[in-house]
Amino acid sequence: MAAARKHKRMAASQPGFLSFNSGLDGNSSDIKRRKRVNKNKKKNWNKYSDIQDVEEFLDDVRLQEKAAGGLIAEKPDASLFFVDTGEKNKETQPRKIKKVLSLYSLLCHCFFFPAQSITVLFFSLLETTVKKGKRSKPLRIDLILQPDSRIPAPKNVLAFQQPNAKKQRRMAEKAARLAAMGVLPRREKLLQLRRAAAASGLPVKETPVANNNPARAFYDLWSAGTPETADPYYLEQTKKKLVKRPDRLNEKPSVLPAIEVVGPGGSYNPDFFSHQDLLREAHEVEVKKLKAEERLARQLAVKEDIATEESSFKEQVEGLIEEGDVEPEEPEGGSEDTVIGPTATQEKKTEKQRRKEKAQRIKELRRKAERQMIDKQQQLFQLRSIRANLKTQEQRTKQRQAQRKANQEAQKSMPRRLGRLKFQAPDLDVQLSHELAGSLRGLKPEGSILKDRFMSLQKRNLIEPRERAKFKRKYKVKYTEKRAFREIV
Amino acid sequence: MGGLQKKKYESGSATNYITRNKARKKLSLSLADFRRLCILKGIYPHEPKHKKKVNKGSTAPRTFYLLKDIRFLLHEPIVGKFREYKIFVRKLRKAYGKAEWGGVERLKENKPVYKLDHIIKERYPTFIDALRDVDDSLSMCFLFSTFARTGKCHVQTIQLCRRLSVEWMNYIISSRSLRKVFLSIKGIYYQAEVLGQTITWIIPYQFAHDHPTDVDYRVMATFTEFYTTLLGFVNFRLYQTLNLVYPPKLDGQGEISLKPEFEEDYALESESYTEKLSALSASLARMVPSAEEEETELDHFPIEGEDLEKMEVREKMEQEQIKQKKFFEGLKFFLNREVPRESLAFVIRCFGGEVSWDKSLCIGSTYDATDETITHHIVDRPSIDKQYINRYYIQPQWVYDSVNAKILLPVEEYFLGVTLPPHLSPFVEETEGDYVPPEKLKLMALQRGEKPQTEEDEEEEEEEEEEEDDEEDDQSEEEDEAEDEANLAEMEEKRSRGKSLSVKVTPGKAKAENRKRAAEEEKAEEKRLAIMMMKKREKYLYDKIMFGKKRNVREANKLAAKRKAHDDASKEDKKKKKKKC
Repeated sequence: MAAARKHKRMAASQPGFLSFNSGLDGNSSDIKRRKRVNKNKKKNWNKYSDIQDVEEFLDDVRLQEKAAGGLIAEKPDASLFFVDTGEKNKETQPRKIKKVLSLYSLLCHCFFFPAQSITVLFFSLLETTVKKGKRSKPLRIDLILQPDSRIPAPKNVLAFQQPNAKKQRRMAEKAARLAAMGVLPRREKLLQLRRAAAASGLPVKETPVANNNPARAFYDLWSAGTPETADPYYLEQTKKKLVKRPDRLNEKPSVLPAIEVVGPGGSYNPDFFSHQDLLREAHEVEVKKLKAEERLARQLAVKEDIATEESSFKEQVEGLIEEGDVEPEEPEGGSEDTVIGPTATQEKKTEKQRRKEKAQRIKELRRKAERQMIDKQQQLFQLRSIRANLKTQEQRTKQRQAQRKANQEAQKSMPRRLGRLKFQAPDLDVQLSHELAGSLRGLKPEGSILKDRFMSLQKRNLIEPRERAKFKRKYKVKYTEKRAFREIV
Repeated sequence: MGGLQKKKYESGSATNYITRNKARKKLSLSLADFRRLCILKGIYPHEPKHKKKVNKGSTAPRTFYLLKDIRFLLHEPIVGKFREYKIFVRKLRKAYGKAEWGGVERLKENKPVYKLDHIIKERYPTFIDALRDVDDSLSMCFLFSTFARTGKCHVQTIQLCRRLSVEWMNYIISSRSLRKVFLSIKGIYYQAEVLGQTITWIIPYQFAHDHPTDVDYRVMATFTEFYTTLLGFVNFRLYQTLNLVYPPKLDGQGEISLKPEFEEDYALESESYTEKLSALSASLARMVPSAEEEETELDHFPIEGEDLEKMEVREKMEQEQIKQKKFFEGLKFFLNREVPRESLAFVIRCFGGEVSWDKSLCIGSTYDATDETITHHIVDRPSIDKQYINRYYIQPQWVYDSVNAKILLPVEEYFLGVTLPPHLSPFVEETEGDYVPPEKLKLMALQRGEKPQTEEDEEEEEEEEEEEDDEEDDQSEEEDEAEDEANLAEMEEKRSRGKSLSVKVTPGKAKAENRKRAAEEEKAEEKRLAIMMMKKREKYLYDKIMFGKKRNVREANKLAAKRKAHDDASKEDKKKKKKKC
């Protein structure tokens, strides 16, 4: 028995095995998530192990044996198929010669399996075979249930209609027409392209490489490419050509060099005097800083003496204790000199007065004009001094111009005020005499180049001076002791 | 009379500028992105002349940009990429939050990437423009390549920087274009001349980093991103000019010899090639295998007169330069393990020397310390146990000083345990009348080809020399003014001598015409006359200049005297010590 079963299994595992049941194909769609159960109890073995597929398979084998007297896969074709000439039932059978799986149809009738993959054809034959079978006569119950009205039921039009049928038909027609012309739909075209690319071994899309990829490739950027022939306006509008960079932007915002080499005093093994020079420079900077600090302290200092006990007491008793008879004398002279406002109710001028005044005015004007005349005449004799005057004036303007120009030149190398913060020159990197190492091995580098570079960028006005953002806590921190901790302490 | 009243701040400088925040909003970017964009495009803030006008009456300190610049930025395609990136980050965050790992994968695959190629082309229309601006990028790349991989910046950035800097060094080696080296307390300054451009850069000492906190790493990383791209393209072009293969490949012959058995111990298989490249010990492969570096001969054109002289001078200079370019040739160096290997290997190979080191120190060593043909062994420790008799044991400074002097300096001053002479900066160029340290004077004398003194009588001679120097300096004060007079007097004397000669006629002798001397005299005469012809004001200026020069000389003399006093004092101390001993 066991041997027979094994044999059946073997047969089933072979590729040629045909099964009756469609669900036996192995990949049943309704794979449920496996329940996790302990398998260490025998009870669970029976309960939770899924043996349905095995059962089904065995059922199938049994059925085949029952129905066909053996496994179908092992039967010769001749025993399974016959040529149906279709002469016996003319009204339904088409004239063509067909292969009909007669056994199959029989089985289907008996157990009514769902439609198999093989046959649509088979179903068309089903009705005829039913008639031929043992129970070809319909059951009475079925007959009763048949509609016996003479009037045919109205056709359900909608059942025969396809939504959008016209459109779809048209589209299909168009596609067919285009296909005849050799034009493929877009989807097909893309598919073919992809296939061709895959076949040729080239990557379909060149994935862009990140800028900091260490394996990135470079090329000759400045080689003369093909000159553009299209209309530049068109290219610009379609963003195929970038807008020309204004020349103004290629000027550097400062004339300072990118790398400022430290002076000879900054050598790791410096000459004595250049080292001293550097030290002096650093010293001067420090002194300047110190002075500024001192000045600030001085300005912020409380100027008057702070009240002591003694002084406050003195203040309280001021005037209570008589101190001799020194009485301040009040200046009396000032009191007389009070200012009196204009008490003006001016009287009207008489005609005579007016006339006199006018004459005076005219006389004055005449005198002035005369004076001017004379002066002008006199200037003739002052020519030399005037010329000298002019010269000095011109010289002064020239000097000022030169000064202004020099200032402007100097400004070019100065850090500008570009934001909230002012540029502050970093401290000079200096090693004191006793810090200097005698050899390269013992050298301790001073300062950080990273900071140096950062400062240089600021100094050259490439970025605005910045400081590290200060950490600001939004909420106050509340400290609590955990109870367990409190108990110990 | 009539017309509308003009409103304030509607024209002029107020409309030419835009504040940073407004610009940011106009581009609809975050502040960080805006900053990055400005750095990449080379658009810098601008200080307006009349701040109050620009700021519409307010005096608050703000950052201003030119409006035209910002308008220009609007056309930049990268702006779109920045926005895309922002959206990408948002989506990614969402996917992470929902634990949709498939979605995360997909998003990461389609991460938006931007290119800087077009920006570089735009900012540097020609290759020479780019080369002129390469100082910054070199310094930054060398700096970033020394960073530890600690997350201060992206690891990939560090690797890229390392790759580019190694490529650059290899180029400098094969083009022999290094000119100056200066060991400062900050780092090592190098200067090279590449295609006629002087390029300076600084390299930090190894292991010198403590990361400063007051540096904005994001800004620096952005600059580095731009500079690495620039340097990559520049490197490519430079390699092309030398017909070298890019990315650099080691020369075939060198590769075979560079196969020690324990290579695997040093680096992974994948990394060993780049490591070998960065060892700088082998030469690079060329596109066209050239027959032993052909020297480019100057073309000769038949030229007459002055041009010919000039040409000769130039030719001589050229030949001297060629000679200087390989004055280490034929020397074999061995680096002890305590010296800075990379820097020394770079410098020595730049001037044609051969260099090697201990096998366990670094990959790419070509010969052992036991090699008999080694000429110089570079050591930086007070003494060494096993010494070979046929090589010099010298301190590393010798190499650098020789490079700066462009000759092989006498090795005596650089022996083991000897107090080194000061390392002078090659970047200082003394003008006439400045104080020149005696070491430099000696060096200049050596360069002129005067013979170096032997060690025994060096001290005495030095003293003498210094005295002479002093005298010379003292004289030089008067010399300037006296020179002209003296020359004139001499000439007159000669003339008068000619007159008082006896009348006897002797057979004519071709008078050896001292052309140089005559020329000098002529020049002096001209100068004197020019001084005489000066206007009063110019004369005043001239006197002032001369006075300034003399003052400089006087100060230099004072310094020299001080130095002498200092040296004397130190010498006496030494003598005393010796006596005590």
